[in-house]
Amino acid sequence: MSLPGLELTQPSEERSQAPAPPSQISLTPGSEWRFEVAFGHIIKVKLLNGTAELFGTELAESQTYTFTGTKAAIFTWHGCALEITAAETATTTSDGVTPTVGHGAGGCQSEYTAEETPMVEYANVHFALETMREEALSIGKDGPRVLLLGSENTGKTSLAKILTAYATKIGRQPLVVNLDPTEGMLGVPGTLTATAFRTILDVEDGWGSSPMSGPSPVPVKLPLVYSYPMQSPLDGEGVVYRPVVSRLALSVTGRLAEDEDARETGIIVDTPGILGTDKPGTMELINHIVTEFSITTILVLGSERLYSTVARQYDNKPSSSATAAVFDEHISVVKLSKSGGCVDRDDAFRKATRESQIRSYFFGNPIPSSSPSSAITLSPHAQQLDFASLPVYNYTVSSADDEDEDEYDPSQLGTGGSFLPGGGGMDDYTPQETKQDPDRAAPLPGVVGSFSEAADNANSNANANNGSSVPLKKVLPPAPSALANTLLAITHAPTSASPAEVRDASVMGFLYVADVDVNKGTIRVLAPVGGRMPPRAIIWAKRWPGELVGLVG
Amino acid sequence: MSGLVSDEIAEDYKSSLEDLTTNDGIQIRTLTVIAKENTEHAMAISRVLENHIRTTPPLQKLPALYVADSIVKNVGSPYTLFLGRNMYQTFMNVYTLVDGNTRRKLDEMLNTWKQPAPGSLDTRPVFPPDITRNIETALIKARTAALQQQQARAQPDILGRNRGNGTPTGWTNSPTPSQNMPRPSQTQFPNNGHSNSAPPQTHRHDIDLSYLNRDVDALIASAKIDFANSPFNPVSRQRLKALVDLQAILQKQQLAPDQLKLVRDQVSALAATRPPSVAPTAATNGSVVSTPQIPTPPAQPASQPLHQLLNHNTLAELIKATASRQQSTPPPQVPAPLPQMPQYPHQSSPPQPAPENPLIAALRARGLLPGGPTPSTLTPSTSTPVSGRSNLPFLLPQGMQPTPPAPSQVAIPPSGSSGVPMNTASMKIPRFGLILSLYDSRPNRCGTCGRRFLTTDEGKELKARHLDWHFKTNQRMTESSRRAQNRSWYVDERDWIKSREAGDVNGAADPQATAEGAAGADGNTKQEPPKPWIRAPNDATLRNTPCPICQEKFESTWSEDVQDWIWQDATKVGSRVYHASCYSEVTKGPAPTRQTRTSTPDSVLGKRKAEGTESPSQKTRIKTEI
Repeated sequence: MSLPGLELTQPSEERSQAPAPPSQISLTPGSEWRFEVAFGHIIKVKLLNGTAELFGTELAESQTYTFTGTKAAIFTWHGCALEITAAETATTTSDGVTPTVGHGAGGCQSEYTAEETPMVEYANVHFALETMREEALSIGKDGPRVLLLGSENTGKTSLAKILTAYATKIGRQPLVVNLDPTEGMLGVPGTLTATAFRTILDVEDGWGSSPMSGPSPVPVKLPLVYSYPMQSPLDGEGVVYRPVVSRLALSVTGRLAEDEDARETGIIVDTPGILGTDKPGTMELINHIVTEFSITTILVLGSERLYSTVARQYDNKPSSSATAAVFDEHISVVKLSKSGGCVDRDDAFRKATRESQIRSYFFGNPIPSSSPSSAITLSPHAQQLDFASLPVYNYTVSSADDEDEDEYDPSQLGTGGSFLPGGGGMDDYTPQETKQDPDRAAPLPGVVGSFSEAADNANSNANANNGSSVPLKKVLPPAPSALANTLLAITHAPTSASPAEVRDASVMGFLYVADVDVNKGTIRVLAPVGGRMPPRAIIWAKRWPGELVGLVG
Repeated sequence: MSGLVSDEIAEDYKSSLEDLTTNDGIQIRTLTVIAKENTEHAMAISRVLENHIRTTPPLQKLPALYVADSIVKNVGSPYTLFLGRNMYQTFMNVYTLVDGNTRRKLDEMLNTWKQPAPGSLDTRPVFPPDITRNIETALIKARTAALQQQQARAQPDILGRNRGNGTPTGWTNSPTPSQNMPRPSQTQFPNNGHSNSAPPQTHRHDIDLSYLNRDVDALIASAKIDFANSPFNPVSRQRLKALVDLQAILQKQQLAPDQLKLVRDQVSALAATRPPSVAPTAATNGSVVSTPQIPTPPAQPASQPLHQLLNHNTLAELIKATASRQQSTPPPQVPAPLPQMPQYPHQSSPPQPAPENPLIAALRARGLLPGGPTPSTLTPSTSTPVSGRSNLPFLLPQGMQPTPPAPSQVAIPPSGSSGVPMNTASMKIPRFGLILSLYDSRPNRCGTCGRRFLTTDEGKELKARHLDWHFKTNQRMTESSRRAQNRSWYVDERDWIKSREAGDVNGAADPQATAEGAAGADGNTKQEPPKPWIRAPNDATLRNTPCPICQEKFESTWSEDVQDWIWQDATKVGSRVYHASCYSEVTKGPAPTRQTRTSTPDSVLGKRKAEGTESPSQKTRIKTEI
């Protein structure tokens, strides 16, 4: 008897096709090679001659780059020749998914050469930003703060990478802010991060890697991470998103004040695609971001409607920077074409991307590169923790498509409900409902306003007083079984911190819950760093990125 | 299904069930209450519920099953009886079709069924043990089979069934249970009925009760689908009833082998004649799943075709093309290329000087743009300090006043990109001179990572240091590949604000270096001479042993860098721990790093200590792991 899906892993020989012979692709100046590699399949790309760049980051000649689970494009300004090889796919993804080997060069799912790209526009954005930087430097104001807007799959993150790569290429140091919780930057999804980029981006691995105990072939980047364990910024009408963004902006402003290189270069803010839609509440959030980061330049990708809305509201308006009046600083809104190379990443691909981000957080670079030295394998530490001793918090906001607020849980059934045959002593569902209502009712606009004001004043004590209205609830023992396979974000906040402080605290790392032993009240976790668990408040990433089954055997 | 009232209630219940699309506790409770208030129609309700579980899309099967769970736990008999009769088959059907997450939830639910209903006075389990045992046995068998198949290289068709599917489920449309997919309507799942058929068939060698049971289950499933499809067909109805009865007999009674054989033959005959709804299951399922999801090449956007620009297009056409896209914006400006810039090879004629763009003029007037191309040798001017950061937070002690911009460490390339205005029209104008400058201004290229450097002396020095960095990194990577590495903790806000990206030029403080404190002595010579410290020993007696020189105890402090408790100003010599300051006073020199054997003869430890002695930095840090 067999059930589909229960095959744990596939023997690799099953699908090993004869490795495709290396294929050469020559690109004319101004064209790009777009390729899609499935998860589990690996291709190797080598630049034979000419120049080539992947999202702005230049490839070195004769070096082998490996890609898996990628949809990307290699562009050339000067023309180049590439060699594509399929790597022997010796390993399988651990969740038992058979990688799809496509029929393209090197076994790509899809690959073709495109001559029409918006790269001229994107390069112009960079030059215009350079113009602003030079000008800012000459009169002593801050460099440009760029906001990228656009719906899903319009190439926001790719453009952010291009702008970052070009800036670092000429020796600048942009601060890149990722406000998209659906995809992590230098970490796991469900986070908002800020990172200063001085060194070259990792061609193979998107942005690069955060620090590890050992060396890295591509210089590591140091992100500042905040936990936002929800998929959409609109969840709970932004009642969590706003304060976290404010806090992040505060730290970024602090960095800019002290770091000259960052201040000259400015900020690049990447946003989630949902802000590019016309869902109610998005304009308010955009406004919040524009204000908090004192945005000077808004780049709108692809959407005419969004462009006209944003342009009407912001174009030529003074920026919110404190020095805007002094320097007569105005916001410019620019429309950019969406690249034809933008492909829809379906839910399965996005899920696989998230899982691979989580996996590489704990286990390192998953690609067995050509040179064994550049494949970094990390060893997380497994340990048993007493759940009762952990100050774990969980957000109780609800979203439109929320389903787990009032979940039916068979293991807890029977303890609640008036219809119980035995009369039922305790209520398990009702307290949640009654507690939840004030939580939801409390963060009215006025309160939200007071949050950001409090954050502006950097007065966390004031925040602490508002603690009761933060929809962050401590998870009391017994350990809920739903903890299994989810992530816990260890914040820098002390265990005694108020909910507002926990929400505003940056994250020091993540734990992966492998097991929950309800009887013993312990959880088995995977921690990136060994040793004693730091006594810090913990945020449960229950809703996002959600469960990842099978990270550990 | 008896009586008119029952039918009505069943109909109502059915429509209520169809509204249940998510794991909504309130709805599930409501449905439970309805079931409780209508126990006299328990049979009808049970049938409706079973049917619903069977026919609902996989994403909605779990909540539906939760209704059943809630009913049997809260109401109990007679629902336990009615629902229990087909529970094996219902459960297995659901189990086959859902993804891993849901399966786990099902397993958890199944576990609760083996225990008495919580809060109930009844000590018997929710379902009679034989029902739960059947399900468990089947699940164990399936898992074992899966393992065996894995080991024995399962048949390609089974493997193929999952090919191209991102999730371990057999259902392409349900990658995550939590996705915000619109509720799929029944019509979207024309194959739904088919895919609902029973657990996969296997060849049976002998009369095996469980196999027989499963066959009957499969038959019932298909019969039920038939019945659901044509509820007024008396044939399918009778057939279903007969099968259900047969199943009841099989489950309740121990039949003699010959009787069993008879039944089996009957079942086989039925299976042979049954409508082909089940047979294509695997095929249907397989084909749905195995379709490789090759995304079609995306449609080209209405962007400016670059090759037209690059090729033989005349400038007039270019301007026309650009202008036609930009009706609302001012006419595009084609700036005369800066004199020092190389001409793009394909651009045959120099662009005609365009009249001053009114927008540019306006921007200039407002001071947003410099008066013209800025002189290329841009000297960073120390400008007037600007007040206005008074609202900066307390954690920025120096942030209250902006420091005047110091000369940038990196010289901006001479072919600076001055004069590119930030507006939509300006973005469309190709500036190949600038683009080439992106590369050509820094022709000195690193062969390892593609980074570029200036040809100036400064650039050459930077490159030398950069190559040095590569070399050191490679060396360290070879060394470190032998020991376990791990991700470091992220820094906190204050450290992040204070941190500076030194990057990949050797000599400056490496951001990795701070993170490497945890790795302790790894021959890293870049840091300033470290203050000697050791990790606080876990052993209680060791911890209470004072410094042999000053007889004072050591103080444990939590170290952010190391993420462990450490003793500051401590050094271990032999098996004793001294205050480093005491020791150096006594020995008149930095504490020696030469080690005698520690209590834990650890080869790695020994090796690192050996390295430590060779290290030129006179490192006094010793990593002790007790």
